[in-house]
Amino acid sequence: MRIEGTETLHAPRDRVWALLDDPQALASCTPGMQELRPTGPDEFEAVLSIGIAAVRGTYKGKLRITERTPPERYAVQVEGTSGAGFVRAVGVLELEDQGAQTGVRWSGEVQVGGALTLGSRMIPGIARMLAGQFFQCLDRKLQEGSP
Amino acid sequence: MTTRWLGAPIKRNEDPRLLVGQGLFVDDVQLPGMLHAVVLRSPHAHARILRIDVRRALEHPDVLLVLTHADLPPSLREPLPKLIPHPDLKHHKTQYTLAPDKVRHVGEPVAFVVATSRYAAEDAAELIEVDYEPLPAVVDLEDAAAGRPALVHEDIGTNVAAHSVQRVGDYEAARARADLVLARRFVVDRGCASPMETRGVVAQWDPRARQLTVWDSTQAPIPIRNGLAALFGLAQKDVRVIAPDVGGGFGPKIMMFYPEEVLVPLAAMRLGRPVKWIEDRREHFVATNHERTQIHHAEIALDREGHILGVRTVFLHDAGAYIPYGLIVPIVAECTLPGPYRIPNYHAEFRAVFTNKTIVSPYRGAGRPHGVFVMERLLDLAARELGMDRAEIRRRNFIQPHEFPYDVGLIYQDNAPLVYDSGNYPAALERALEAVDYPRWPEEKARYRAQGRRVGLGFACYVEGSGIGPYEGCRVTVEPSGKVYVATGVGTQGQGHFTSLAQVVAEALGVDVRDVHVVTGDTGAFGWGTGTFASRAAVVAGSAVHLAAQAVRQKALQVAASLLEASPEDLELADGQVRVRGAPSRSVSLGEVARAANPLRGVIPSEWEGPGLEATRYFAPPRGTFSHGVHAALVEVDPETATLRFLRYVVVHDCGTILNPLILDGQIHGGVAQGIGGSFFERLVYDDSGQLLSGSFMDFHIPTAVEIPEIEVIHQETPSPLNPIGAKGAGEGGVIPVPALVAQAIEDALDDLELEILRMPLHPDALFELIQKATRRGS
Amino acid sequence: MKPPVFDYQDPASVEEAVDVLARHGAAAKVLAGGQSLVPLLNLRLARPEVVVDINRIDALDYLTEESGWLRVGARVRQRRLEREGDVRRTVPLLAEAVRFVGHPQIRNRGTVCGSLAHADPAAELPAAAVAVGARLVAHSRSGIREIPAEEFFTGPLTTALRPDELLVEARFPCTGPDWGWAFLEVSNRHGDYALCGVAAGVRARDGRVQDARLAYAGAGPVPVRLRQAEVALVEHADLEEGIRAAAAEARRVLRPDGDLHASSEFRRHLAAVLTARALRLAWSRASTCSGGAHA
Ligand SMILES: Cc1cc2nc3c(=O)[nH]c(=O)nc-3n(C[C@H](O)[C@H](O)[C@H](O)COP(=O)(O)OP(=O)(O)OC[C@H]3O[C@@H](n4cnc5c(N)ncnc54)[C@H](O)[C@@H]3O)c2cc1C
Repeated sequence: MRIEGTETLHAPRDRVWALLDDPQALASCTPGMQELRPTGPDEFEAVLSIGIAAVRGTYKGKLRITERTPPERYAVQVEGTSGAGFVRAVGVLELEDQGAQTGVRWSGEVQVGGALTLGSRMIPGIARMLAGQFFQCLDRKLQEGSP
Repeated sequence: MTTRWLGAPIKRNEDPRLLVGQGLFVDDVQLPGMLHAVVLRSPHAHARILRIDVRRALEHPDVLLVLTHADLPPSLREPLPKLIPHPDLKHHKTQYTLAPDKVRHVGEPVAFVVATSRYAAEDAAELIEVDYEPLPAVVDLEDAAAGRPALVHEDIGTNVAAHSVQRVGDYEAARARADLVLARRFVVDRGCASPMETRGVVAQWDPRARQLTVWDSTQAPIPIRNGLAALFGLAQKDVRVIAPDVGGGFGPKIMMFYPEEVLVPLAAMRLGRPVKWIEDRREHFVATNHERTQIHHAEIALDREGHILGVRTVFLHDAGAYIPYGLIVPIVAECTLPGPYRIPNYHAEFRAVFTNKTIVSPYRGAGRPHGVFVMERLLDLAARELGMDRAEIRRRNFIQPHEFPYDVGLIYQDNAPLVYDSGNYPAALERALEAVDYPRWPEEKARYRAQGRRVGLGFACYVEGSGIGPYEGCRVTVEPSGKVYVATGVGTQGQGHFTSLAQVVAEALGVDVRDVHVVTGDTGAFGWGTGTFASRAAVVAGSAVHLAAQAVRQKALQVAASLLEASPEDLELADGQVRVRGAPSRSVSLGEVARAANPLRGVIPSEWEGPGLEATRYFAPPRGTFSHGVHAALVEVDPETATLRFLRYVVVHDCGTILNPLILDGQIHGGVAQGIGGSFFERLVYDDSGQLLSGSFMDFHIPTAVEIPEIEVIHQETPSPLNPIGAKGAGEGGVIPVPALVAQAIEDALDDLELEILRMPLHPDALFELIQKATRRGS
Repeated sequence: MKPPVFDYQDPASVEEAVDVLARHGAAAKVLAGGQSLVPLLNLRLARPEVVVDINRIDALDYLTEESGWLRVGARVRQRRLEREGDVRRTVPLLAEAVRFVGHPQIRNRGTVCGSLAHADPAAELPAAAVAVGARLVAHSRSGIREIPAEEFFTGPLTTALRPDELLVEARFPCTGPDWGWAFLEVSNRHGDYALCGVAAGVRARDGRVQDARLAYAGAGPVPVRLRQAEVALVEHADLEEGIRAAAAEARRVLRPDGDLHASSEFRRHLAAVLTARALRLAWSRASTCSGGAHA
């Protein structure tokens, strides 16, 4: 399943990039992220607790930063497993310099297995909702941090 | 007065018991101390297993046993048995009991957990840690055939399990002479049977008697018994397999071995306690065999008058991850394609291809719907091209009633020549057309059109190979109570054998059908047989029942003759009595005859061939019988919402001698419903990574009473000369022509769009796309 | 398909129920009709530590009309909407829409509030709630608040309810006889979630549309109300032109996701087709003052 979207972050691109490049900042904005432990260069072990209403699960998995082209492009690969199945996703962020703001074009390729496949019709909507929460959080951080 | 039982519309003997909840399905088996098993299945379509750690599961307080491949005895670490070999099947890969180092489809068993309850077993299964290295999944059939994007079985260097060619005449030469050659690519997608009762196994091991008893929701209890005896090194007599009431089979339950059929007995023997495993619906969608995907590149060559000169199909058959059941489905597809038509030159060629999907084995129709879809579509398109009426082109090509036995020139699934035994194809079509008033259809259609309604008429013809060997057997026993007990090896999955087979006996012995008790599917009751598949039970077991009942009849006459001091020729059997014809006061009950046949003192005459009113007979047909039929339907299409409504559905059905028209109607109704399901509602949708997206009844849409029209059945009876009762198989005719018919009806309803429907099943989204394309083309 | 271990509580009053919810927060899940929660439990997709069964709370079992509002308590089964004649008169859209929810067996158990709280984007009742402008009453230890339907649905399976809140009531405004309502949907099989569903209402005066409502199920992550299309209907003097404009608006604005059953394109097409059909039906009911739900 492919999903994509665009967002506007209210800070110049360099600042956005700096935030994205800080794993802990990233982690704090990722919905449900409970733990993010580095295991190697650009590799992390993660524990996420994601709950969409009644559908709630704790996913253990890996996060790998597969591409980093400052200050434009950033790609991650995530894999998580829970009792309900597994999720694998590849996400790409592209930052566009818009002066005081930064345009973000994001896309993701999501694959699920196990009981989660039964909810496949809702996954794009859910992924978009989670992405929205992620970017809102980033934006908040950027604005808080702004002078 | 003698009652005729055979052919009578008798209500089913088994229904009162089933309707009040007194059936015995596998999950009804409750044994003291019984444990519950769960299978941990692969969530990946294709992956290497790097590590399995079961320690945390074993620590669960309610867990008694956890098995992985490494824990299996050597004989069970090997791939499970190859069922039906074929010279063209180069790579007969079969599934494992538990996957050793690689998984090849979502749902493949990886570990087996036994606990004190199903709940605990599921909790523990979650504690098993498996590290997988996902591999590219082989999902698309055409890619798979080309070895892309991976190999399902690396060691054979290809995904093609078999390549097979059959030829009749010389297609190329026919093509060169033809006035019209028409070629298309046809796709039939995956489907599955969805029986109400999923699979299930209970096993009990008695270490003192060294007896293994297995209750299994299977269509093949005797082969399962034989196989289990071999795998566990037991005598066949020490293994008893019972297929009690089975809540629907439809083909997939003929497969053996499903891993659970081995694992549950193994666990019961290891633990010395009974073990139960019931497949849940989620498992069923991925762990019970599927069918249907084939892609045909087909071509028809005709002369100007619409006579078929030849047909060619070159097709791919999706075998799934393993191919235990061999080439039955593609062979049946290529052998069903010619149907009721004279095809002097035919070239059929297929490749059976491995994919990372659930295993394929026959499902009701078993290749027949594919063959009929291709053939009927070719004729429809050819008729359109030639400007000829679609009924007329069929009339011109029918095999005529005087041409039987008709040798199609192919070798069928039973390795015997494909020879049609009998039939009347033109009559069946004319009856169907008359029923829907085909001659007046153009006006009728215009009338609908004037009301703004789009209604199409579709019809399709088929021939159904059925009733194949090798054999079935039966023992008929009359007890001193006068009740008759019948035991046969075929299992029953709702087809009404407790009644139809009883009717055969009642007819022969002149007893009330309610006094005839049939036992099927218990190897303890009858130990020889093969199984219920290919619409063969009524034909093959029915004939064996007939022979055994006739033998008992002869013996009853002999024994009664001495009791009544009359000659056997002067006696008749009726109303549970043997009596002297014309002197009804001189009679004995059949029960008394049975008692007399088993005396405590005295001599048994040698011509009695032993004591008791009992006989066992076998029937081994030389080859299969061929039923046939025509379906016709009126289908309303809403072109704006791309949805369908069936307004009328007529079936003309010829399966030889009818044993019980009520039961036969039931078979046909259910078949049509399943056919409609497989044409427009039910879909197994996979994503690119080999995940089944429609793996629940929320997304796999079995049609309900709302979607299924009333079905009108017209019976035609052309008996088979190949068996003593003249019967032919009736199990699959309901399903077979439905996709072809639905396609034709939709095209007819939307004839201004000149659609070509080349894929089945359709569904609203796909129909929408077809309509959009056609509209764009038109504008 | 057996649920993991959970605790079970069955309070007899709303107060007790919200206490339990306050104590357990997101670890608790309310059980109403169980028609969505129990399958999720069995699939182990839902793993609450505590299941709070509200079926013993008799105080939530009411379906009444009061000062122009139809009040539906949290224990009211969906089936009552179609069985009780008053609903056809007071909020005809509900009686229409509910017939598309599953099958009678499901509606005998499933609750109206449960369907709203579950917030399936393809469900019928949430779309109907948005169309008529329902208000949802949430109760927690900190008090009671009313949430307008349009603010209630925030994402797929996601609502504005906090984990400590119990949805105690849904309120639907009663509409007058000059309104006509219709609910239409396309699903592959009767009783399935909609590929696309439309709730339409029009108010007729002097042969013109005076007011209109349009809301969609299965056309986005939440039920969508299309105000621009409603305006288009009112603005066009000619009904058919208005309907065409509304349908075009639906096709232009809605961005449903595609899934295994229907592409995004097909869903948009269905939205437009159903918009026109539902509006015509609603109009015929409005102009004859017959409300709706006579099909
Ligand atoms: C076969 C089948 C077909 C169906 N078809 C359809 C269909 O076509 N259209 C459709 O809309 N639905 C359909 N449904 C779902 C059905 O409508 C459900 O009843 C409904 O979604 C949930 O209502 P419930 O009372 O059963 O809630 P439950 O299943 O008990 O709960 C559902 C969710 O809502 C929460 N919840 C319930 N009540 C409250 C409350 N008062 N306060 C706070 N949270 C609450 C629960 O915690 C849970 O998360 C179908 C269900 C089945 C089994």
